[in-house]
Amino acid sequence: MEKYWQIEKANLKHNVFLHILVCLILLALSPFLMGVSNLGPQDTAKALEMYVALLGIVLLTPIFLPEQSKDIRDLVNAKYTKSASVYLVRLIGNGLILAVFLGCYILLLKNSHCQFPALRYFLGTYAEMLFFGSLGIFCYGLCDNLVIGYMMPLMYYITAIGSGSKYLKIFYPFSMVTGSYKEKFVLSAAAVILIATGIALRCRRK
Amino acid sequence: MFGQLWIKECKQTAKSLTYWLIILVLILDFATQLGGMEIMQKPKEGQEDYGWHTSNDKDIIMESTLGILAEEYNRESYTTYPIGFYKQVTLDESEDQKIAEILKEATGLDGRAEIDQKIEEWYGSQQDDSGQMTAPLALQPSKGLSYERFEELMDQADSILGGGSSYGAAYRKSNAQIPMTYEEALEEYHALLEKDKITGGYARLFSDYMVIFLGILPVFLSVARGLRDRRAGMQELIYTRKCPSIVIVASRYFAMLVMLILPVLMISLVPLSQCMAYGKAAALSVDMLAFVKYTFGWLVPTIMAVLAVGMFLTELTDTALAVLLQGAWWFVGLFSGSQDILHGGLYGWNLMPRHNTELNWAGYHSGFSQLAANRILYALSAIALVALTAFVYTMKRKGRLQIRGKILANRKSKSKA
Repeated sequence: MEKYWQIEKANLKHNVFLHILVCLILLALSPFLMGVSNLGPQDTAKALEMYVALLGIVLLTPIFLPEQSKDIRDLVNAKYTKSASVYLVRLIGNGLILAVFLGCYILLLKNSHCQFPALRYFLGTYAEMLFFGSLGIFCYGLCDNLVIGYMMPLMYYITAIGSGSKYLKIFYPFSMVTGSYKEKFVLSAAAVILIATGIALRCRRK
Repeated sequence: MFGQLWIKECKQTAKSLTYWLIILVLILDFATQLGGMEIMQKPKEGQEDYGWHTSNDKDIIMESTLGILAEEYNRESYTTYPIGFYKQVTLDESEDQKIAEILKEATGLDGRAEIDQKIEEWYGSQQDDSGQMTAPLALQPSKGLSYERFEELMDQADSILGGGSSYGAAYRKSNAQIPMTYEEALEEYHALLEKDKITGGYARLFSDYMVIFLGILPVFLSVARGLRDRRAGMQELIYTRKCPSIVIVASRYFAMLVMLILPVLMISLVPLSQCMAYGKAAALSVDMLAFVKYTFGWLVPTIMAVLAVGMFLTELTDTALAVLLQGAWWFVGLFSGSQDILHGGLYGWNLMPRHNTELNWAGYHSGFSQLAANRILYALSAIALVALTAFVYTMKRKGRLQIRGKILANRKSKSKA
């Protein structure tokens, strides 16, 4: 356990600090960009799904970042601890940070007299965050390129904004706005598959 | 030296996976948004609908604005753009009461029940045979309400909502949307054929769709290119070459710029051929270069700015920070301003100027100087950023500005010495 905690400590210190900062800035800017008080269920869902969920791309995509350099990758591969374990520790760590940010934001919305089912919206938004992040992880693992890892979930987001559910169907990420929740289960399942495949692809890369 | 490096950089870009993904996204964008594009037909007399336009008539402005306020009050949700961005406002009880008082003075309607009844009556009388609404709610102002008092009341409502609402001075006049007559629709159609030579209008529509993606995609290319030297361990090797920094940076920049313009021009051949076929069938002259002109005048400054931001921040930080910052800028640009900007003519300083119609030549013409200033500003800013990137590159060659840990390492080693 101590070993994994050390991995997470190094991750927090050297890897995710900048990304946490970006997330905090995005959350702090939200009251200027959209309404965050006295919102009904639909407007709250819009704020969470179309804005807060973007944090998933920022925090989850770069879990392979420290091994971007081949020299470091070789060093990590030579260690007793499997690289998949290292990635999983980072993933869980970043996932927990995401959950804390989302939880705090939902509490803030509740305190601002927004009317919505908190737990349902928390889980729905979290599923979307994981999906966006997992798409980034998968593309990063597949192409060994952080930029493509950011690009694909952002393109997915733009497609969802531009075309609605026309092309994305059950993979439509903003379904809570329209009152539907079944897409969230599909996104959660897709997130698990994409994360597992992304990490497996990355571990196979020498 | 510049020419040789430029060709080399073009080849590097052509080998990049990011570049081909960008092209794929652009093609998909075009196919999904403009793939089913049809050239506008001449309006026929007796048609059900000719579209809408804005009126300057004070009575219509008052009726339309009060109609919007009554609907939003009834819905208990107001749309505002306080600093240019979309924001949904829901009021607390005391603020809600103040809006009710404003509506009572302006329309004579007292409370939600009366307003709700009025709305139902309106839409009951405005439905056509298919159940569609033919006109948005318009409410008669109270007898004796002057336009000046109306403005005061609307300013109060705007202030309660935190500014940027449909009732503030900036948006009030655009509320008066009235149906176009056959003559007005015919005038718009003739402007498309004669002033725009068909292709001008469609080139603007093409630019409107493409600029949304070109407001973000180039940053992926420039960041990937910027990080590539570091990943391949080539940075130090290139630093020691004799070639001036400005030549290295400019050749990279212009190679990426040209390589991004090429697919845009290629894609534009599809709508151009459609316009040409229409012109040929109707024996009308077509401006063959319109898509080229709009690509360079409308889209290239956006590509230039986004590429430059990516290059500068990547060179400065050696990270993919530019993707996140450009993503934020894109988000703000896309959701800035009201829906009115989509119709064209209100270009402002947006990185992605919008004109989501092949019509409205008059709006384009009246907003042209603003659009030109916007585009020139972004093109010049991009060139300035490229010059700054070259400066940062020079500094790094001299061993300074090594942000990713190296600057600290250098200081430590110096102090120890």
